[in-house]
Amino acid sequence: MRAALVLAGYALVVAWFLPRPLARLTGQGASVRPGLAAWLSALLSAAVSAVIGLQFLIRTAIAGWPRLSEVVCRSVAGSACTRAVYGSAAFELGVGAIAMAATAVALVVAWRCGRRAQRARRHTRAHAEAARLIGKALPGTEALVLTDPRPIAYCVPGRPAAIVLTSGVLEVLEPAQLDAVLAHERAHLARRHPVLVSLTRGLAAAVPVVPLFAWARAEVARLAEMSADDAAIRVSGRTAVITALIAIGTGAAVRDDSIARAPAAVPRAAIGAAGYAVPARLERMVAPAGPARQAWYSLALVGLLAGMLVLPGVLAMLAG
Amino acid sequence: MGLRGFGDLEAVVMRRLWDHDGPVTVREVFEELRQDRAIAYTTVMSTMDNLHRKGWLSRVKDGKAYRYSAVASREEYSARLMREAMAEADDTEAVLSHFLAHMDSAESDALRAVLLRLTRKTGENAQ
Repeated sequence: MRAALVLAGYALVVAWFLPRPLARLTGQGASVRPGLAAWLSALLSAAVSAVIGLQFLIRTAIAGWPRLSEVVCRSVAGSACTRAVYGSAAFELGVGAIAMAATAVALVVAWRCGRRAQRARRHTRAHAEAARLIGKALPGTEALVLTDPRPIAYCVPGRPAAIVLTSGVLEVLEPAQLDAVLAHERAHLARRHPVLVSLTRGLAAAVPVVPLFAWARAEVARLAEMSADDAAIRVSGRTAVITALIAIGTGAAVRDDSIARAPAAVPRAAIGAAGYAVPARLERMVAPAGPARQAWYSLALVGLLAGMLVLPGVLAMLAG
Repeated sequence: MGLRGFGDLEAVVMRRLWDHDGPVTVREVFEELRQDRAIAYTTVMSTMDNLHRKGWLSRVKDGKAYRYSAVASREEYSARLMREAMAEADDTEAVLSHFLAHMDSAESDALRAVLLRLTRKTGENAQ
């Protein structure tokens, strides 16, 4: 029984106090894939320990109801726990209420997440279908073009998935930049980013009070963009990705690419816009972190995520 | 252009329907499509039936046959898609991965400030 309480406590710490320091490690994108893995491990670790803790609680309750209040009382207060305390109606009712409330919350959360996921899948499928019926194929690519002056480029997951471009985006992009945009979107699809994004978005929407969910939503989305940027850089080069981002961000063609060759002399602190996703992406592409910094961040993140995957089991064994 | 799959045929049929002013029968669409591809009448019929079932086409009985027409114009569907694509992530159910996510005015300002610093920096270096 003590194991259940320890695991629940661990889940609360991960959900409430981990996000801020973790975001400091991952926010600037010095280490993208370990960063993504760390956020997903935090979610998994918190969820698994919460579920195991809850399951302990329910099992004890079912095994012998009158004993539950005694066990809870003893695991908290030890020998100071007397029959007068755990036998009292108030204590029994309190423990019962907490156990039922925890179960109810878990069920509601699971139900809400499931419903949201279903709705999201339906809307996404409908969007992809409409894009296929309305869009014109862009010769030489799998992309679909919709007529609209606003510069927009995105992909829709599904079978088959779709990459959608507006006529407006084609107007502001040079050929190399268009390749970079397509490579970015293909990377999103190949690396299953839409799944990660919809999972974290669903959690944040279903249970907005948990800080870990809100943080994971924003940080996973941002890291997914950076991961796709890296893939695009490998295909079309840094300059094309940077200038494409600027062209779409400002809605004006960028032909002078000297901006992308802005040297490492740009001090990171001088840019200082890391709080926002798009400026942060631009910053890390123009002035990427050095290899030593990247290695240090990767090491820290891998250590952290390994700890999060192992800790619930260790805690359960130690306390059980 | 070859026929790549059923989804592709749906797109071809919808385009025909949008190009017509009034409702058309399966037979009429079939006769048009037959001009530039080998296709069976039943294929066209089931494609149009699918599109009707999915809510893209409406149909009214005319004698023995149905006459089909598009539920909304191509422009209306396009506007609907763009509305969904432009919405902030929280306001839309569809999962779309943008090259550049919706920016609020504060983020746009931050981006502009970064660009300004970068261009000034490169300008100085060039001198």
